[in-house]
Amino acid sequence: MRRKNIIAALVLIVFAAGYGVLTAGLPLRTLPNTPDPSFFPWINMAIILILCFCLLFHSLRQPKETTPNPDAEERNRIITAMGIFIVYLATLPTLGFIMATAPFFAAMMVLFGERRPVYVGTGTIAVTAALYLLFRHGFGVFLPRGLLAGFVA
Amino acid sequence: MSPDALSGLSQASSFLPLISTCIGVFVGLVVGMIPGMTISTGIIIVLPVTFVLPADIAIALLLGLYVGGMTGGSFSAVLLNIPGTPSASATAMDGFTMAAKGEAGRALGIAITASFIGGLFSFLCLFFIAPLLADVALEFRTEDMFSLVFFGLTIICSFAAKSLVKGLLSAALGLALVTIGQDPVMGTSRFTFGEANLMAGVHFLTAMIGLFAIPQLVDNLRASNAGKQAQAKLTSILPKVSDLKAIRLPVCIGSFTGSFLGILPGAGGPIAAFISYDYARKASKKPEQFGEGCAEGVAAPESANNAVTGGALIPMMTLGIPGDPVTAILIGALTIHGLAPGPLLFLERGDFAYGLIWSFFWANIFNFIIAILGLRILVKLLATPRALLMPTVAVLCVIGSYALRNNFFDVYVMLFFGFVGLAMRWLDMPVVPMLLALVLGRSLEENLRVALTSSKGDISIFFTSPISLTFLCLAALSIYWSLRSTRNKVDPYQKEPG
Repeated sequence: MRRKNIIAALVLIVFAAGYGVLTAGLPLRTLPNTPDPSFFPWINMAIILILCFCLLFHSLRQPKETTPNPDAEERNRIITAMGIFIVYLATLPTLGFIMATAPFFAAMMVLFGERRPVYVGTGTIAVTAALYLLFRHGFGVFLPRGLLAGFVA
Repeated sequence: MSPDALSGLSQASSFLPLISTCIGVFVGLVVGMIPGMTISTGIIIVLPVTFVLPADIAIALLLGLYVGGMTGGSFSAVLLNIPGTPSASATAMDGFTMAAKGEAGRALGIAITASFIGGLFSFLCLFFIAPLLADVALEFRTEDMFSLVFFGLTIICSFAAKSLVKGLLSAALGLALVTIGQDPVMGTSRFTFGEANLMAGVHFLTAMIGLFAIPQLVDNLRASNAGKQAQAKLTSILPKVSDLKAIRLPVCIGSFTGSFLGILPGAGGPIAAFISYDYARKASKKPEQFGEGCAEGVAAPESANNAVTGGALIPMMTLGIPGDPVTAILIGALTIHGLAPGPLLFLERGDFAYGLIWSFFWANIFNFIIAILGLRILVKLLATPRALLMPTVAVLCVIGSYALRNNFFDVYVMLFFGFVGLAMRWLDMPVVPMLLALVLGRSLEENLRVALTSSKGDISIFFTSPISLTFLCLAALSIYWSLRSTRNKVDPYQKEPG
């Protein structure tokens, strides 16, 4: 945790500095004797900086520790899942809800340990169709139709 | 009863709100009992639905889920020794021991009954205290509101963090995110980078989905706890008269403690449950039986954590201050429907405010009925395949953030907050203070700037007003308590509440 805290403190100090630069560039639109729009961000920046330095100094005073190596298989599974999720979100506007959700759902089922093709297929089709019908036609949410625009209502 | 109270009763007792409450309770019981799912996840599941429903029906659904989730957490605590929610952690100590002795049905019956009584007691507190507190809060000026919101933030940080610095840092980052968009006083654009979608700021419901659901999905990808299923057979569920007599005192202790602690922002179900358990043990004639599978050890925490729900609704409704993620989401749901929680809610929409209170009453009634009658079916749902559940939750996260404004930008904001949530979990930094800062931040800044404008920049205004000074003293006390807790390594939350 010591190493993590030091990294976090340093990253957040950089963040606070960037936040400060952007705050300094805010337009000065205000009335006499009133706080301007940058007033609150300046306070925030100061608080973040103070807390980051507290975290940094506190962590530097802590003894070094050995952290156990994370399970490689578990880590790969998490990275794969996040990758699939990002691809899903990136393709969703173009492919549409059904076309993008079905492969995403199937891949996630496999990642969560389901290996039987029939279960994966049935679950994917049933849940994707049910969610689409429920939200698009039941609750009027305009889920994107994408490639299936001419085929589904 | 006042005309508003009668109107609220009629509104909450009509067909659709009642059905909505029932569905909410059922979903709450299910998500509460499944390890790896929390009440917040349940909220995420129903969130897209609430956008399109009328306000009274949406709130009835969410309240049902809140109440059901609290009770549902005890099911897996008793049957699997895995608390479904953090609030059920104390229940597992005696509940699971009872189940191991073959008394799972008895333990669950006691848990359901104690939850019911605790919930009803907190309903009475809500019904009688909330309107009075709203009247008092109407007298608050901007400096008082600033100090109140500040107090709310500090107490949340002190309860939610293992480390005070990390808790405060989480809240400060949330406050920084709140400054994105138009400023609340002058309307100046800040940190929008020319992106029109950021003009309205970051919607906290989108942030909440990312902060809570994505890390939870990642947690469920880990192998631990997978495949553990309830094996206990349930015999008699309704508690016997002897049990009811035995749990009288613990239930009273739990109901009072839970309702009182629920009113304090940040002091949620887990703390109330453990404190009630401790008090009940001290008040018991046979304290040595606690931990060995006694009914009192189940009744005290269960009555307390359900009593917290009504208590937590009091500051939410009267002051607009959420005590936990669920009440924060309720504020969001109200805001989406053009209703602002706070003292004016009772003044301007008294019928709706009382309708909410009566929906809470019905939620407790349905919670008892559904839990008792449907327990055997509900327990089977503990075996719901994670491979089906978690991808569904992932898709619902996307729909939930998209449906807010029918806009993919919000989906990407949700993903961003998902990564933020993962980073915070990696750092052992609590996400609750950030979420609550996102909820309260605008109000904090607006009241601060308006108060300073009215005093021509003189900060003594916050110390000369007695109400403001009281809240600032309470804020100082909460930080002091938090520092002491950190030094003594007391961690009231084993994991994020809700």
